[in-house]
Amino acid sequence: MGKGKPFLEVLASAIHEDFRFPFLELFAFFYALGTFVFASFTVGLSSQITTNEAIAYSVTNSLIGGSLIVFILLILKNVAYGLGNELEKGIIQTYFSYPLRRRGILTAKLLSAIGVSLLLFLGIQISALYILAPDIVFPNLGTVILTYAANLSYPLLISAIMLLLTLKLRRGGMGLVVGIVLYVAINIASGIAFFVAVSTKSPLAFQILSVISPTYALQYHYGGLSGISDIFSVPWVPTLSEALLYTGASYVIVASLFVLAYVYFSRRLNL
Amino acid sequence: MSLIVAEGLSKRYGNVVAVDNLNLSLEEGSVTGLIGPNGAGKTTTIKMILGLLKPDRGVVKVFGQDPWDNTAIRSMVGVVYEKAFFPAHQKTLEYLRRVCRIFGVPESRAMEVLEVVNLQEASDREIRALSAGMLQKFAIAHALVHSPKLIVADEMTANLDPQARSELLEVVLRLNKDEKVAFLLSSHILPELSMVCDSVAIINRGKVWAFGKLTDLYEKYAVGIIRISTDSSYALEAEIRKKLSYVKESDSDIRGISVRVVEGKEDDLYEDVLKLAKNIKAKILGIETGSASLQELYRMAITAKESE
Repeated sequence: MGKGKPFLEVLASAIHEDFRFPFLELFAFFYALGTFVFASFTVGLSSQITTNEAIAYSVTNSLIGGSLIVFILLILKNVAYGLGNELEKGIIQTYFSYPLRRRGILTAKLLSAIGVSLLLFLGIQISALYILAPDIVFPNLGTVILTYAANLSYPLLISAIMLLLTLKLRRGGMGLVVGIVLYVAINIASGIAFFVAVSTKSPLAFQILSVISPTYALQYHYGGLSGISDIFSVPWVPTLSEALLYTGASYVIVASLFVLAYVYFSRRLNL
Repeated sequence: MSLIVAEGLSKRYGNVVAVDNLNLSLEEGSVTGLIGPNGAGKTTTIKMILGLLKPDRGVVKVFGQDPWDNTAIRSMVGVVYEKAFFPAHQKTLEYLRRVCRIFGVPESRAMEVLEVVNLQEASDREIRALSAGMLQKFAIAHALVHSPKLIVADEMTANLDPQARSELLEVVLRLNKDEKVAFLLSSHILPELSMVCDSVAIINRGKVWAFGKLTDLYEKYAVGIIRISTDSSYALEAEIRKKLSYVKESDSDIRGISVRVVEGKEDDLYEDVLKLAKNIKAKILGIETGSASLQELYRMAITAKESE
């Protein structure tokens, strides 16, 4: 018997549970709402920015804003609540009676919980970009991809941490709380980093923050936030290479945490 | 051939020793009962056999292989947990068809196994809408989908009504007789186990206290049991233990006392028990010898081990 079929069936079962009516419909609606209605093209970049790349970054970033919250909510629901519930109730034990390796089961669960959410997010975003700003975006595809990569890094970091916590505790409650706290904390931390950077004239706080959320490096590469950056002088203008490096580093951290989760699930998880 | 071999299995949860140097084997085609009080280590043992828990020490082999993350074993073993959980929002038949596809068996098998457990009328119902008893039956149907050679069941009949229990025991007997399916069944309901098991492992405090063919265990622990029915069983048993040195083992419950005595002392026991009862003003309702139940075998084996 091939290994493909058990994997696909467990994946189908996981998608059936994670996106049962009305979750898929509801979240798709919120994604569309976040993308098309709450995208704010007025809150963009500093007035100093005029290059095509910066404009492409600004447009993409504006589109991402509202939908990213929906993406994080969906991940919170699927990883902490969904997987946590299945571990707590024993559905994962049931999956362990099927001829599929543990890593296959986790992959199926993660593809459903995060992969499908990401597909939904990107599907609606790409459609929006194609409809709203094809002339700006498509000539600057590299910038657009980098903007998505930088913006998605932190939500993926949150999901990796939630996953580890959920697996360790075999329930999702704590993972859910930590996920919400981390999401709120990054905004507070960026505020603190801004004032530390302005008052000490040192970019160190932003550099540290950019390792876990490289969107800040990209933001300051393209000139910082409009309004605030025009008033306060932030002593940091990272180059594109630096922004890429921060993005890469953040994904190394995310990947390491997911690998850790796989190792734990495959070799250590006692049920 | 041994389907399950456990040697020196040990598992701790913090400071609590759940399983301590446990040895067990299960032969092809046998129905083995795992009996013991709550917290004896039955579920932990079963989880180690199923590869859900890693033993701290010792080795467990199922079909000659390590069960941890072993897909080959999963194709040969059916599992019924004490509390059965499945993806709740899927329909019973629909989910079993999925399980058929997972194991690569024809989808028609899904309805067959629902019929085996008499659940065909719930084929269109969502799993979350099943009662506890129906869910347990569904779990058994789920375990039968791939026609396993071995079924491991932890408290399989715990949530079932008497009618459903006897139906399931018939299923166990039929599968064992016709398809040579071996069973490892843990249960608190000993009369049930005595109906289907040919071997029994008595587990207490994480160790196997007695293990073997039921006939051998009866021979060893339960031959010559004398039952004393009385209205003061606990007080009278205390007197018997204190004053009658030829009593090898004794055990009591609210209805009476079961004792085994040194060979040839049976007649002395009748006289002495009547005297002791008179002293403590206990009423003797009857004294009889006979074949022991599994319940008595279990208790006598525990008593015998504790007095060692």
